[in-house]
Order: sequence, then structure tokens, then C-alpha cells
Amino acid sequence: MTDQERAAQRQVQSDVAALAGAIERMAGDLALGEEPSNFEAALEAGAPRD
Amino acid sequence: MTDLTLSELAAAIAVRKISALEATDACLERIARLDGRLRAFITLDAEGARARARALDGELAAGRRRGPLHGVPLAYKDLCHVAGLPTSCGTRTRDYFTSQIECTAVARLTAAGAVTLGKLNMTELALGPFGDNPHHGDVGNPWKAGHVSGGSSSGSGAAVAAGLAFGALGSDTGGSIRLPAACCGIVGLKPTYGRVSRAGAMPLSWSLDHLGPMTRSVRDAALMLEIIAGHDPHDATSSAHAVGTPAATLDLPVRDVRLGLPENYYFDGVTPEARAAVEAAARTLAELGARVQTLRLPDPAPLIDVAGVLARSESSAIHARIVRDRPHELGAAVRARLEVGFHVSAHDYLQAGRLRARLTRTFVQEVFAEVDALLTPTIPEPPPALAQVTAPPVDEIVRRMGRFSRLTRPFNALGLPVLALPAGFTADGRPLGLSITGRPFDEATVLRLGQAWEQASDWRARRPPV
Repeated sequence: MTDQERAAQRQVQSDVAALAGAIERMAGDLALGEEPSNFEAALEAGAPRD
Repeated sequence: MTDLTLSELAAAIAVRKISALEATDACLERIARLDGRLRAFITLDAEGARARARALDGELAAGRRRGPLHGVPLAYKDLCHVAGLPTSCGTRTRDYFTSQIECTAVARLTAAGAVTLGKLNMTELALGPFGDNPHHGDVGNPWKAGHVSGGSSSGSGAAVAAGLAFGALGSDTGGSIRLPAACCGIVGLKPTYGRVSRAGAMPLSWSLDHLGPMTRSVRDAALMLEIIAGHDPHDATSSAHAVGTPAATLDLPVRDVRLGLPENYYFDGVTPEARAAVEAAARTLAELGARVQTLRLPDPAPLIDVAGVLARSESSAIHARIVRDRPHELGAAVRARLEVGFHVSAHDYLQAGRLRARLTRTFVQEVFAEVDALLTPTIPEPPPALAQVTAPPVDEIVRRMGRFSRLTRPFNALGLPVLALPAGFTADGRPLGLSITGRPFDEATVLRLGQAWEQASDWRARRPPV
């Protein structure tokens, strides 16, 4: 592995760790009923009333 | 003729003042003259376009008008599958993306009478905000040679701005409609997530992808939206929410519409001229009766992290084969961004999806209790020199990409409709961008506000010096 490849690998590891850390900090108080499909429901609920 | 807007051309064709063939030939002549410099097209279908235009002229002469775009020449980002044409997605592979069905948005525009000129250049795999492409050439900024045209729908932005097409389709996963619209001084609409079907278009991130119109006027964007929006059985995420007729309500007054200027994040690190342009637009809308206030938005940093996890995981899954089997075919920055997704855990990906739902619900409830729409800059600075932002090393390019799209990415996570339009120009002629963000499925309000600003300002009269 070249120095450049090693540096790239370190960058990937650093980026992944940063993202994982951010998600872990935020996800601690998620309720059991919170699921990804609530996103579409939030959009529909926020739409203007016709 | 190519100075006309899409709406003006459609009206002129309808009364047979201009023929579809004349309009198509005008675009083809301009493409022949300018596209060597702009590199907006990857595939040009001159013969197909002329044949279609001739047929449409014949139909009109016989009293048949297919729809509101009868005879209007359009072009599509090269990730939309169009029958009979290759779809490279900005890669070096001619047919990188194939689909059993034609892109639904393209099919709807065609059914409305549009003429397909061809397929437009884009950043490789739609991954990048600057408009550079190692395989098909860097798209030129029609306002300032050597400067960023915006990505990833770079060809769409340049083609519309330079009058090579009367309108285009772009896609937007982190700002890819709005950034080129801002850099090229045109109008771009990222509709609400689910408003426009993505069927038949190359996916980059299922959770964040949007298709939308790129045009020279707000009215044109409204017209194209009305045609392409609506439920599509080929896209499970497309919404059945009523589309309405946003073009019909464009000229209603904006009196008492509540507008918010964010106090946090959206003006941080923004150049003084980019900030001043948005503030000037706010003053103009206030003079028209809108009520402008400042407000503090929920912190966008969590949204950016959540979108980062979703985008990287999904794009790596979708494009795994080229990264694993033919990595040498990809640009270094694109490869670096895709590589991250292979290492995100399933746990984090799922938590990100759950968090996104919560963040969106909170944002919509809190922000739209206070205001009806937000005004923000689209880009934090005028289009910079391309050589400056694409200079190595790769990790620095990736960081510059993040900074340039920092104002657009939160709205992909939120799925809200955002209209990007010109806010003015720098002293040396580079466009500045304004974004108007509304509640979910309220494209009508953001378009109405955009129309009010467009009519009150003189930016649309300006033409790029190509």
C-alpha cells in the first residue's frame, strides 16, 4: 500500500467515525415507535390544508 | 428566438407564430455555435429532434395540440433514461444506467408535446457541486468563463442559461438543481420529496433524490412542475398529494405572507455580497406586503450528519459495482466519497432514518408555526474559479465540496420544496443566488414568492455574455 492509499484509508476511517459518533449522540433518546417511514408522514402532516 | 421563455415560446407555437421546427433549429444552431465552449451536452439528438418537431408542426396544422409544451425543445440531465438514447450518468460508460421504463418525468413532458434535444452533461454519478467532469469535459459557466457552473446538474444549468434549450430537468440529492441554478443565473425548483416521480432516473440516494425543473423564469418552472408532478405507480415514494395549479396562482399578491430570515447557520461564512443580495430580496418582498422577520432555526448540523449517513450508505450500495470492479474509471473525489459508505454500519444507517423523521417533524411544526417560507442564500459565495476549487489534494476537494453545498443539503434531509433563483450579480458579472423554502407540498407559495421577486427585479432581462 502506498503512502497516498494509507492516507486515503485513514481519511475514510476518520469520516466514518465522525458520522457514527454523531448518530450515536443523537439516537440515545429515540422512542421505540420512531421509524424511518415517519418522515413521509411528517411531510404529509405539514402540508397546507386544501 | 432563444431569448423567449418556455411559456412565451409555447404560446407563440400554439398560435403558429413560430413553428416547432424553427424553435428546434434555433436551439441546434446555438448548440453548434456555443457548446464547444460550454460542454453542456453529452448526447445531441439533432435528427430525432427535427423529425419530432416536423411531426408536431404537422399535427398542429391539422388542429391537434398535444399539450402545453407542444413543440417546445427541452433537454434532460444524462441520468434520465430516454428511449433510444444512452445514459452515461456522467461516467465514461455510454450506457451506465438502463431502465425498463422511460423516465416518468421525461415521458410526461413528451406527452405534453416537448421536443427532446438530447442529454445534458453532469458531474460524474451526480456526486459533486462544481460542474467538472473528467470524461465529458467541465461545463462552462455562461456568465464567467473558467468559473464553477454548479453541479451536479451542470449541463442543465448552462444549457438553459445560454439558450441552448428552453428548459431542462435536473436532479437534486444535496443541492444539484439549486447549485447550478444559482451559478448559472437561472431558476431551479427542488420540489417536495415525493412530489415528482424518480422512476427511470439513476438513483444516487433513494432517501434524498429529487427531480425538478430548471428554467429561465419562475412561470416556466411552475408550468413544468404541473406536468411532471403527481403520483406514479413506478415510484413507491411518489406522493398522491394533490398537485394543484401553481402556475395559475403565481400572480396572486404576497401581502401578509410571513417570511423568515434565519439568524443561525444560513448566513454564517456567507460573503457580504451574497448576504446583501438576499437581504435586498427580503426588503423588496416586504415592500410588496410580505411580513419579514428573523428567526432561529433548529440546528442544521444534525440534519447534515443524518443526510451524510443516508447519502453515503445508499450511494455506495447503488454504485458498488463500479467502485469495486472499475475504480480506475472514477474520479478521485467521487471514489473517495463512495468509499465511505462501505464502512457505515447498518445500525447507524437505520438510526439515521429514524432521526431524520423526528428532525423533519420538529422542523415543520416549529418553523412553519412562525413563518410561511424562509429566505436564504443558495451558495455562500459567487461562483468561484473552477481551477481553485478542484485543485488537489483530494481530501481538500471533498471539504470544499461540503462547504459549497452547506446551505442546500439540509433541505434534502427535510424534503421541503425549495426554489432557487437569481438574487443579483457581482460587479464582475457572476450570479448570486436566493432560495425560498416552503412547507411540504406548498410549491405554490414558494413559486408565488419567486414570481413576485422576479417581477420586481430586473435580473431576468440580463443575458450571459456567451
